[in-house]
Amino acid sequence: MSRYILQRLLGMLAVMFVVVTIVFIIVRIAPGDPAAVMLGPDATAQDVASLRTRLGLDQPLIVQYGIFFGQLLQGDLGESIFLNRPVLSALADRAEPTFFLTLFSIVIAGLIAIPVGILSAYWRGSLFDQTATTLAMLAASVPSFWLGLLLIQFFAVRLGVFPVSGYGGPGAGLGTRLSHLVLPALSLGIVSSALILRFTRASMLDVLNDDYVRTARSKGMGEFRVVMKHAFKNALIPVLTVIGLTAALLVSGAVVTETVFGLPGVGNLVVSAVLRRDYPVIQGALLIVAALYVLINFLIDMLYLLVDPRVRY
Amino acid sequence: MRIREALLSGLAILASGPVLAQSGGGVVNVATIGEPPTLDPMVSTADLVGIVTQHFFETLFTFDKDWKVTPLLAASLPEVTEGGKVYTIKLRDGIKFHDGSDMTSEDVVASLKRWMEQGSRGKQVAGNVDKLEAVDPSTVRITLKTPYAPLLALLSFNNSAAVIMPSEKMDVPMKEPVGTGPYKLKERKPDQYIQLVRNDSYKPLDGAGNGYGGARKPILDEIRFVPVPDPNTRVEGAISGQFDYVDSIPVESYDRIKNLQTSKPVILKPFGWPVFVMNTKQGVMANTDARMAVRLSLSMEDMLAAAFGNPEFYSLDGAMYPKGYVWNTDAGVEGRYNVADPDKAKALLKKANYSGAPLRILTSRQYEFHYKMAQVAAEYLKQAGFTVDLQVVDWATLTQRRGDPALWDIYITHSPFLPEPALIGQLSESSPGWWSSPARKKAVDAFNTESDPAKRSALWAEVQKVIYDETPSIKIGDFNALSAQSPKLEGIVPAPWPYFWNVSLKK
Amino acid sequence: MAAVSTPAVSEASFVSRLVTRKTVMVGLLILVIVAALAILAPLIAPYSPSRLSVVNRLKPPSGIYWFGTDEFGRDVFSRTIYAGRLSLLVGASVVAFAAVFGVTLGLVAGFFRRLDTPIARIIDAMMAFPDILLAIALVAALGPSLVTVIVALGIVYTPRLARIVRASTLVIRELPYVEAARALGVPTWRIMSRHVLRNLVSPILVQGTFIFAYAMLAEAGLSFLGLGVSPEVPTWGTMIAAGRQYIGQADWMTLFPGIAIILSVLSLQMVGDGFRDLLDPRLRKDL
Repeated sequence: MSRYILQRLLGMLAVMFVVVTIVFIIVRIAPGDPAAVMLGPDATAQDVASLRTRLGLDQPLIVQYGIFFGQLLQGDLGESIFLNRPVLSALADRAEPTFFLTLFSIVIAGLIAIPVGILSAYWRGSLFDQTATTLAMLAASVPSFWLGLLLIQFFAVRLGVFPVSGYGGPGAGLGTRLSHLVLPALSLGIVSSALILRFTRASMLDVLNDDYVRTARSKGMGEFRVVMKHAFKNALIPVLTVIGLTAALLVSGAVVTETVFGLPGVGNLVVSAVLRRDYPVIQGALLIVAALYVLINFLIDMLYLLVDPRVRY
Repeated sequence: MRIREALLSGLAILASGPVLAQSGGGVVNVATIGEPPTLDPMVSTADLVGIVTQHFFETLFTFDKDWKVTPLLAASLPEVTEGGKVYTIKLRDGIKFHDGSDMTSEDVVASLKRWMEQGSRGKQVAGNVDKLEAVDPSTVRITLKTPYAPLLALLSFNNSAAVIMPSEKMDVPMKEPVGTGPYKLKERKPDQYIQLVRNDSYKPLDGAGNGYGGARKPILDEIRFVPVPDPNTRVEGAISGQFDYVDSIPVESYDRIKNLQTSKPVILKPFGWPVFVMNTKQGVMANTDARMAVRLSLSMEDMLAAAFGNPEFYSLDGAMYPKGYVWNTDAGVEGRYNVADPDKAKALLKKANYSGAPLRILTSRQYEFHYKMAQVAAEYLKQAGFTVDLQVVDWATLTQRRGDPALWDIYITHSPFLPEPALIGQLSESSPGWWSSPARKKAVDAFNTESDPAKRSALWAEVQKVIYDETPSIKIGDFNALSAQSPKLEGIVPAPWPYFWNVSLKK
Repeated sequence: MAAVSTPAVSEASFVSRLVTRKTVMVGLLILVIVAALAILAPLIAPYSPSRLSVVNRLKPPSGIYWFGTDEFGRDVFSRTIYAGRLSLLVGASVVAFAAVFGVTLGLVAGFFRRLDTPIARIIDAMMAFPDILLAIALVAALGPSLVTVIVALGIVYTPRLARIVRASTLVIRELPYVEAARALGVPTWRIMSRHVLRNLVSPILVQGTFIFAYAMLAEAGLSFLGLGVSPEVPTWGTMIAAGRQYIGQADWMTLFPGIAIILSVLSLQMVGDGFRDLLDPRLRKDL
């Protein structure tokens, strides 16, 4: 088993290496001189030259790659051009809204999808099941930013119950910050509930037919207890996995949703960075997000190893 | 220690209690159009940078409500001698920077030097400056090579501003903003807020406020500038009452905010003018007849209607300055504004031997009305026989591309009505468009070197006439700007760069 | 979710089973209507999508303007169906791009042992990037235009197909009759085209349908952010972005293109789901 862990660990490192290389390439295929693009038209040739030196752009590509890698190993993601500060601290500053947005979206998606998924599986083929499955498919077809625009119109502008945009001012309390997250989390949560619903339903169907559930039933156990205690408990692992995967997918949704709601999160930072030609920030954000994804996947694998004794390699 | 602090803060509450009730202090949230690229007002000409930084940085002079130059950090208007070549500037006494140090002539000289090296408007002045010196601790003298009338206006302007900083804080790029203004910077969180707090040791000028001049009384405790780049989100923030002041909203939202409890419109009338700038150096628009063909083919009326919707927010006006300004004149306008005559345009195009090469129009959606005018213009130009290539790019790309004469024929921008016409970009040979002709040189030089205000009005009419004869750019019309404020805010004066001194909050 | 189809499904029974499924039929019906409206737009549209009429700006839906007019007085209905052409074009082109490169990569990885590990690592690494984020970075690097949006989204979805093709190839190459063919000295490319590709048609079809749907959603998101197709090109994303300015006074500008996206994506998902249920026997028993 330790050999398996070692193997997976090496695999993960290899993937990380490729991730770094991909990011390096993407940022370098930008046409024109990145330094000139970053500084804009008012910059003198001298300014451009000094930025090129500062960014190491005057070195051959392979040397740049080496430097880039070396800095990464020391945890250095470079400096933001626009914000004039290290990329890592700029990203850390924006992590909170993104983290909470993702968390609440998952919670909302789970609260919708898991109960409905269980009932759908239980009353399989019924009108309830068909309606739920169709609605889930519908939810997955809605662009989250479009839903966000409608939610803002209704809840923030017309009813005035939630703020329109932003994340509270200086020193805003937790309550204020959370109130800014309700509408964005709702729009993301609804849209991403479909996948969780589908998985909950499928894995419930799997276990409801299993022997031990039948045994429990034949023993005269109450239906609710059968479904919850025996069936759902066993369906939980695939459901948790899909929730983990949904969290990763949500990062994509967060990019657009944060922009719609003016939330100062990582996604918003990336979109602004693109508009401001702040390449080090784009590069850093891509790296961090991808690395987190790889890491989460690795941890899920390890978790399986612990939780499920049947997994043997 | 604790006890002393508690006592002190208790005293502060006692002391400030009645003052607060009287002054209506408090915290004001201002929604701005985005995150300023810098807080150094010298290096940037962005209006947004000026709006924020004017609260903590100050210039020697500024403009009053009639756009006349008035002293701010200077004690009085300068003494101008030797036929307009020597400016002697007395400074106010007892001005302190936010770090507690005194402002002296040494700081002023160092700051003006930095401005002439770093600021685009400062660079404009630099070539003409012979000497810049501190005469004594409270006097500064500028000696020019030739008389240059726009100097005072440039020293007063709040973008690419000649602000005064301590001589030991001259770093480029700026490290920390230390100014003299009624507010000081407390915290900046990019893309979230810029938090300013009252400068309690600020000494306003006597009397009342007068435009940007006169007394600047810091009444509010705190001003928070919050970047809200999406215009519609700003409108919604006004409607829902989330912001106390919302800068620059689309004029079409006027109907949505005019009858609200939470917000009321602030109209700045007139604000400015949209302009199509021509590349006179290279390509299709290098030909004067072809440029005139563009001018004669356009319907300014349709362009303004599409861009601004509500007729209360725009007016057809061919003069470079609207009525009410000393610069208003109709020289050269007759028969050349809002003509929309495709036949005349076609005849001119034939004369210009137009080959059918695409007319590349650069525009962005940073300002929605630019883009809308471009779309309408494209339809009219097609009718006149032009092949149109509309290139919609982001503002950063536009400002970059317009620097290269090989890349474009027309670009779209706008400008507020600048107090000094010499500041209009297209008049200079070096700004994108590169207008250069004997007639331009004669008219503009005569205007720039004359210092008698009465004579200058007549000379400006000459400049406007040449602009209409040679069409280096096309003014589309006048437009008004719309912002929104909470009814609780008192003392807001509509201004192109809104300011929050002399403003209080009703309880 | 590597769907490995059994080669046993004969085409006739596949089609007949497809037709009997309600969701598939409803999905196909919507899809056909959307596609027909888009393709026949020049015949159906009551106005030119670019015709300006400033006096008629921001008119609500009526008998004259079915979906109302936008800020230039252009007909929103005409623009919506014209926009469908581009949105569908983007979806289809992304699928084509991903299919060509994804299948090639997957086949090569599955067949040539030495190349398998590096390709698999690249696929894993590509899939570590959230799709919109990667697309944004690619568009930022290539410059926004219709073509770069297609290329960027194509690159984003290529690994998704490649992974499935690789997994299926690995299974199929071990099947007894494929091994037998190899033992008989049949050239690799023939084995690939004859045995492997044929079996891959259905999983590719299923994935392709979903990629089509995701690509349309992603294009709308990119254009909405102003990082996609140029704003004067009518796609559903650019229309929603333009409508956002007027959502308080002219919500029809935002609503109709949004509904168009939802209908198209929904229909694609219904069809894709139906395909998957029919082709994947394990999931079929659940439904």
